[in-house]
Amino acid sequence: MNVVTNNNIKCTIALAALENVIDPEIGLNIVDLGLVYQLDFDEEGKKIFLSMTLTTQFCPMGESITAAAKRALETTFDGEEVILNLTFDPPWNYERISDEGKKFLNY
Amino acid sequence: MFGAFPSGSVVKNTTHKVVVPFYLYASLSFLVSTVLLLLSTEAFTQHYFHPHILALTHGMALGWGTMIILGASHQLVPVLIEKSLHSVKLAHASFWLAAIGIPLLVYGFFVFNMGWPAKWGGRFVLLSVICYFINLCISISKSKSKNVHAYFVLAATAWLLLTVFYGLSLVYNFTYNFMPKSSVAYLPIHAHTGVIGWFLLLIVGVGSRLIPLFLISKYKNDRLLWIIFFLINAGLISFVLIFLFAPGNSLFMLPVIAVLLGLMLFAVYCYKCYKHRIRKQVDEQVKISLLSVLMMLIPLIFLVSITGLLFSNDINGRMALIYGFIIFFGWITAIILGMTFKTLPFIIWNKVYHDKAGLGKTPNPKDLFKSKIFSLMVVTYLGGFVLFITAATLSNVLLLNIAAIILIVTAVLYNMNVFTVVNHKAKML
Repeated sequence: MNVVTNNNIKCTIALAALENVIDPEIGLNIVDLGLVYQLDFDEEGKKIFLSMTLTTQFCPMGESITAAAKRALETTFDGEEVILNLTFDPPWNYERISDEGKKFLNY
Repeated sequence: MFGAFPSGSVVKNTTHKVVVPFYLYASLSFLVSTVLLLLSTEAFTQHYFHPHILALTHGMALGWGTMIILGASHQLVPVLIEKSLHSVKLAHASFWLAAIGIPLLVYGFFVFNMGWPAKWGGRFVLLSVICYFINLCISISKSKSKNVHAYFVLAATAWLLLTVFYGLSLVYNFTYNFMPKSSVAYLPIHAHTGVIGWFLLLIVGVGSRLIPLFLISKYKNDRLLWIIFFLINAGLISFVLIFLFAPGNSLFMLPVIAVLLGLMLFAVYCYKCYKHRIRKQVDEQVKISLLSVLMMLIPLIFLVSITGLLFSNDINGRMALIYGFIIFFGWITAIILGMTFKTLPFIIWNKVYHDKAGLGKTPNPKDLFKSKIFSLMVVTYLGGFVLFITAATLSNVLLLNIAAIILIVTAVLYNMNVFTVVNHKAKML
């Protein structure tokens, strides 16, 4: 999945939470889709920095998916502020889909 | 913290309050149009210039096709141009003006009263299109992303404006006779600017964006889309010019070939998107929409035949009627039946689950409608469509009535599913 992080333990917990966020069109969660690029944790400032993308810049569900990702992290890490950076550089491509995701899509 | 990944932005969706009324209005119009079809079966054994046929055509073209496409466009344009819609008020105005104008116009045609019902109906529809066109132009002018899909939508809307303005002029010509010939003589221009300029350009422009999105396709070819854009527009412009300034000329085949070529290239584009898809399982809604791409070719083959017959003076009204039926009940209806259940569930899902997604498992948009009703709708639609064409070819009124009743069943099933989606209440799985 190649998620960049500065805290492996917290990243594992965060990714488990983000697996609840499903791209409603595809029916696959955003972690297995490879939409999550970076998860950094600022312990002192109680901040989580999430850098993620969408399968396409024209995704009509973009607003919902990003809001859901933010909400999933805020619920899991109570009291911490989530700062979300949506990026299309590099753009998402199908090689980012996990093996489980590819199995789900019969790819 | 985000040094590695530069920021992008997410497009703000148009509120469902703008979009859903268009869908509901279109659904009911489809039902009313199928009832009109049943009331007009006798007319299908006569000439196409018949009050009931005019009413039915405008019910299908405006109430069904245009209303649902306007609704979907208000949702999709921000996605295509990466900029929010300029004005929600103009969008509401566009809906209400069309909602009032269309029944007046259809009634005016049905009773063949070219006085106030048709004139006021046409005026309201024209104002509605002007509101949409202004909204679209300002939205696009504010956008930094000017992609090929946005130009398709813009050009299609310009053709719609021209079609409606020209149509209203034809209504006035019935009263004031200011055109060199009677309004009937100009109907081919009005019909083709509407069908090819508005419907075809818009469906190709939006479809070329949505089909790869729904299939999660790796295929992308903007150059091919620009060639299709040029072919269709050049074909249509040359058709209008030849019709007005060189009628009866063998040059008529040129625009037909240009549009046919454009359509074939679009079919190639869809096939390549399908071939390079990541998602191997294709859902039923996308399948029927892809089927409609093939259905586009049927009316064009008819058009080639009709154009050929123009020179032998052997064209008959029934052939033109079947041609029109295939366009509105075949191609346009097929794409709408499929795409409604790809777009509307998303709009409602966004409304219902926007605040709940990420907190647990939610239904997928495709779970918002009943798939069995959808399948039954597809079966009755295909059966009714094929039977109607057969019956119209044979001029058999009994078979025409049976086919029309089957299509009413299709419309009822469609409405049931649309209302199921719209009334969906949140439930966590």
